[in-house]
Amino acid sequence: MRNVILSLIVLCCACAWQTSAAQHDDRKRFAAVDIYLDSGEPVAAWQFEFSSRNGRMKIVGLENGESKAFGGTPYYDREAVQRGTADRIIVADFTLAGANELPSGRIRIATLHLMLTGADAPQFDLELVTAVTHEGRTIDASISLESQIVRKR
Amino acid sequence: MNMRPFTPRARLLTAVAICTVIISSCATPWYGTSPTFPESSAAPEEIIVTGARDGNSGLIPRSPFGAMTRSVPLGAHSAADDNALGSVGVGEEVWIIATPSRAPARDGSEDDSPGTGAMLASFANDIDEQTGRAREIPLPLKHTDVQATITGYISSVNVRQQFENPFNEKIEAVYVFPLPEKAAVSEFLMIIGDRRVRGILREKEEAEALYNEARSQGFRASLLVQHRPNIFEQKVANIEPGKSIDVDIKYFHTLSYSDGWYSFVFPTVVGPRYNAPGNKNPIVPRKRGVMLAAGHRAVRYLSPKERSAHDLSINVTIDAGVAIEELKASHEIVASRDTAESANVALASQTTIPNRDFILDFRVAGDTIKSNLLTYENPDTHQGYFTLMIYPPQGLEALARRPMEMVFVIDCSGSMNGAPLKQAKAAVATALDRLEEGDTFQIIRFSDTSSQLGASPVPATRQNLEQARRYLESLNGTGGTEMIEGVRAALDFPHDPARLRFVSFLTDGYIGNERDILAELHRRIGSSRVFSFGVGSSVNRYLLERMAKVGRGAVAYLGPRDSAGEIMANFFNRISHPALTDVHIDWGSMAVADVYPSRLPDLFVGRPVVVTGKYLGAADDITVTGVAGTVSEEFAIGADGLEAENAYIPKIWARLRIAELADRQAWEWDPTGEIESAIRNTALEYQLMSEFTSFVAVDSSYRTEGTQGTTVHQAVPVPEGVRYETTVDPREEP
Repeated sequence: MRNVILSLIVLCCACAWQTSAAQHDDRKRFAAVDIYLDSGEPVAAWQFEFSSRNGRMKIVGLENGESKAFGGTPYYDREAVQRGTADRIIVADFTLAGANELPSGRIRIATLHLMLTGADAPQFDLELVTAVTHEGRTIDASISLESQIVRKR
Repeated sequence: MNMRPFTPRARLLTAVAICTVIISSCATPWYGTSPTFPESSAAPEEIIVTGARDGNSGLIPRSPFGAMTRSVPLGAHSAADDNALGSVGVGEEVWIIATPSRAPARDGSEDDSPGTGAMLASFANDIDEQTGRAREIPLPLKHTDVQATITGYISSVNVRQQFENPFNEKIEAVYVFPLPEKAAVSEFLMIIGDRRVRGILREKEEAEALYNEARSQGFRASLLVQHRPNIFEQKVANIEPGKSIDVDIKYFHTLSYSDGWYSFVFPTVVGPRYNAPGNKNPIVPRKRGVMLAAGHRAVRYLSPKERSAHDLSINVTIDAGVAIEELKASHEIVASRDTAESANVALASQTTIPNRDFILDFRVAGDTIKSNLLTYENPDTHQGYFTLMIYPPQGLEALARRPMEMVFVIDCSGSMNGAPLKQAKAAVATALDRLEEGDTFQIIRFSDTSSQLGASPVPATRQNLEQARRYLESLNGTGGTEMIEGVRAALDFPHDPARLRFVSFLTDGYIGNERDILAELHRRIGSSRVFSFGVGSSVNRYLLERMAKVGRGAVAYLGPRDSAGEIMANFFNRISHPALTDVHIDWGSMAVADVYPSRLPDLFVGRPVVVTGKYLGAADDITVTGVAGTVSEEFAIGADGLEAENAYIPKIWARLRIAELADRQAWEWDPTGEIESAIRNTALEYQLMSEFTSFVAVDSSYRTEGTQGTTVHQAVPVPEGVRYETTVDPREEP
């Protein structure tokens, strides 16, 4: 078994959802999933893998995190856009910022924008592949997510 | 990108957390049933009368919602409408938001959803009385910022388009715009404040479906679609009143090189295309605000009495690798030099109307340009990629040319009327002066039909040349652009084996059936060589470049400020020496595959050829052979070694592969969709825009209120020198 790991199974289930499920099996809705990295040491690079177990999601956008040290937008692996709905996405980012500018603690490193299909509760897996310091040393860190509920103005 | 873990020793111990996210109940609308919009009631047609314009500037406010005075539902059109319109004072503006229910089945691809419609504007006066300037039309595209970095002959360009909603209701902005025909578009970002949402490349139909779904549910989204290799369409959905959404597009391309000069081009406007009857994929030129027939794509144009607030800034950083001896540009620029090999160039004025190509040429030290081979190896797959610039050997200039059969094909359509046709005529007149005894020539004109100077090419005698000049003088521009007639007329007569046939097309290339033209050219080219001259300020470079490629010739551009005589003289200098033909490359120990262009063109004096391909094994020195006249030539080119900074080469290779496959689609029957599939797969694998792949970005963290909003098409000025009256159809489509 791999040493890594975090396996985070998110069962998105709501009563209302289930109620109307039978009527709208192919309905589509959008969700934003914030990804958080929690590290005791400053992070210079990270990589995670996010996937759907039941093929009910499509990635429709990938947003930058909150740290200014990571100035750009994370990159995704092309495998993420292979045909079909069973999307899997590998996301990574790095920064060349100095050690004193690097973030630590719990920070939002990315937001995944998803389109979910069907009435079934989507099941996500989230795995931190690695997080390293500016020297390239692996950090003991954890990763978690929060689904961001769309705010109605 | 192809990713690997940062380190193979990634053995992290992390806590396992299981989290169940309970999505809110049915009261939260984000995941509920998709909103449905009643056909007739979602966006009631209304007349909105805004306040008087700004008295100082003479321009309407950028954000007119503050000036709103009333909103009149149009249930009973005549009374309310007439009253409202009747009360409009001089200088006030009237916005009419038309619902599609009044015009069913129009523009089915875009404006068919209830709640959207075309934004129409009319004004009491077209020209501002105080300033005498064209009146500013509020449109969503506010600014385009271009940041380019040139390294050697590769340019990396970031284009930021800034959209802002100047209206009082939510809109979808649609903007048809050009990019260089060789652009390998590889990144796309939607930017909202500090938030940057990276777009995802997907198959085109899938991307469009995702965008439409997000748009209809009220999410902010953007979609980038390619209609031609040099024409793109940007859609940005659900921009709320007064709010901004920016879009970043990144692309690579190779610079063209000729006679010591590199040329960087950023096109700013799509010229009005003529669409021949039967064209299945037209992009039609239409007056701002008119409705379209279902399935039609259009570029909307501002009349000469209108202008938008859209402006442009351009910054170019050059690291030529060799000394830069001279800079020149189509626009006024501000340039600074840090070293002999580098320069920073900026457009001097940001209020420049974006109605012509920005062209930056820089001349590098003459003796330092030489053929070179750049390579890159993918560290994961060990697949190698190379780009090879083959520069013609110097010795060609000492050799004399053979007699020529020159055929000049002049576009005399309506879009060439005026300055462009004058330039074309001046260029041909110069060419006639350069013909020598023993040469023959022909002049062909085309618009709706074609006609020509004589039944067949005539000797370049004094009498024939005089007659040709009179014929040339008689030409004027009117009618459509049936270029296919010109192609047939130019190539459909027996080839004189004693002479080299050069066919020169002088055109702005404003046609919508590029593939038909390329297919016709491919069918009839024989041993002729085609040289295309792009005449005008914003020509269709995709068509002109591909015509030259299919015709194994070269392309030149004749802008409104260029000397026609000088451009044509350069052309004659080039063809006055034999080209290196039958070019062959011995790749040495490199196992080379998928080389583009697949058929090597002739090497003309001063014109290098760039060849890109894949290889396995070690990069090695290669040998190029060819024939110049009766003389055999051979020269070696050394590999520069693997360089990490050459990581762009795979994308350049993929872009060239897509271009070549697209050319093949023009003339090869593809019943199984094999070529299309190859384009699609290449684009997806190398993460590039193509005819079959598009970028989509959705901000799913925030849902805007109401329906999907009104679609507002960004209208653009016609290119400088092009007459609006002769090229833009003001009619609505049935």
